[in-house]
Amino acid sequence: MSFTLHNYVLSGNCYKIRLMASLLNVTYESIAVDFHPGQEHKSEPLLQLNPAGTLPVLTTTDGTVLTETQAMLVWLAQQHDPSNSWWPVHSKPQITRVVQWLGFASRLTATVGELRLHSMLNKPVNVTAVKTGAKVVLRELESHLTEQRINNLQWLTGDTPTVADIACFPYTALSPDAGIEHDDYPAIRRWLHRLRSLPGFITMPGIYELHELRKPDGYTVSDATL
Amino acid sequence: MTTQPVGLSIDLAPQQVMRAIDGQYDMAVWRSTSGVVSAWENRCPHRGMRLSYGFVRGESLACAYHGWHYSCEGYCHYIPAHPELTPPKTVRPVLYSVVEQSGLIWVNTEQDAMPVALPDDLQPVRSLVIECDLATAVQALDTRQPHGGVESLSDTPKIITFETGGISQGAVVAIQQSQPNRLIVHMLVQSAVTAKDKIALSRLIESVRRQAESACNEAT
Ligand SMILES: N[C@H](CCC(=O)N[C@@H](CS)C(=O)NCC(=O)O)C(=O)O
Ligand code: FES
Repeated sequence: MSFTLHNYVLSGNCYKIRLMASLLNVTYESIAVDFHPGQEHKSEPLLQLNPAGTLPVLTTTDGTVLTETQAMLVWLAQQHDPSNSWWPVHSKPQITRVVQWLGFASRLTATVGELRLHSMLNKPVNVTAVKTGAKVVLRELESHLTEQRINNLQWLTGDTPTVADIACFPYTALSPDAGIEHDDYPAIRRWLHRLRSLPGFITMPGIYELHELRKPDGYTVSDATL
Repeated sequence: MTTQPVGLSIDLAPQQVMRAIDGQYDMAVWRSTSGVVSAWENRCPHRGMRLSYGFVRGESLACAYHGWHYSCEGYCHYIPAHPELTPPKTVRPVLYSVVEQSGLIWVNTEQDAMPVALPDDLQPVRSLVIECDLATAVQALDTRQPHGGVESLSDTPKIITFETGGISQGAVVAIQQSQPNRLIVHMLVQSAVTAKDKIALSRLIESVRRQAESACNEAT
């Protein structure tokens, strides 16, 4: 066990850490938190761990507590990616771009993520503001991925995926939960598809595995009746 | 009914499905593993699920709901819950005529698709959605022309040539009027231009979008 994760299954931010750990083949101890309806992340024991009252919280074996998802991704890659490609320390220009897109990921959480919590769990938000914000953010991402495609680059910051791709993936993929389909975003569609094809990819509710990678008879639909 | 450009060929890779809306027509457009493109009514003959949520298996489109498989000709040939059953030929979505030409996917929902003839040697830049009416968008494009207004190659669908400052080759902009206030703008350029020029064009069309959408918002 290399770390402990205070975790909630429907959280896109918690999923980032689960996904990164799976892609790097790292095992960890998961502690399920009753985020909804229990509000356990706002309970005293969890506030003592993370006064911000947010999830996920990652605790390393030496006792370091991380409460920012993007920092957790960097920590995971530093510890568990001997190839140094997910946190590309050997390329100063690329690592600068990675940090840029890690910052961008917070804007996805603040817009698409909030809109999704509103749609799914009725969280009170300024709907007009987050809707407008979500569209601005997704259009920015679409334009960037379009330019990457024109330069023959497949990923956000270069020709290999980094922690930045993982940081931006969940809320982009989950935007249909927030009522924003991917129809208007062809470059985003291609990038999501590529990410879902990575070896070690795992799912969460709302983000499924690629059907073409499933076994022919692997239907998992609940209502498979005529 | 005119033949509409619904997307760039490069934006529909093999095994991909996309949704296209043209007026009252809602379509699933998909590309088989071998590369054949089909455009169908976006409605599964079984229980009406949107076929654009489906997935491609080889040369078939499978519905996301109960997994019924439809061949490129539209016939249902496999029902997972009854693998031994041969479904009747009548189980078939509505098929539309589709052609790929000049780097675009063209669909006609009523008769044979007849693409507008465009200059040879075009390469895709990008497709993007502009949420405004056609006149406002064309006006916004117009203001970016160094020498007067845009030149139309076609009026329905609206296709214009677009001169671009600093880039010797002109671009072509094909506008699909998906809905009254929802345009899908497909931009292509002569293949001689560099990646840097294509990126400049991509940013230019974004700037046009900002102008057109804010003009539209002010009007309402
Ligand atoms: N600490 C930030 C924010 C994480 C975050 O917003 N988490 C959500 C769940 S996905 C949360 O705990 N929201 C509860 C709240 O904001 O009160 C990060 O790791 O990026
Ligand atoms: S609705 Fe499509 S297979 Fe049932």
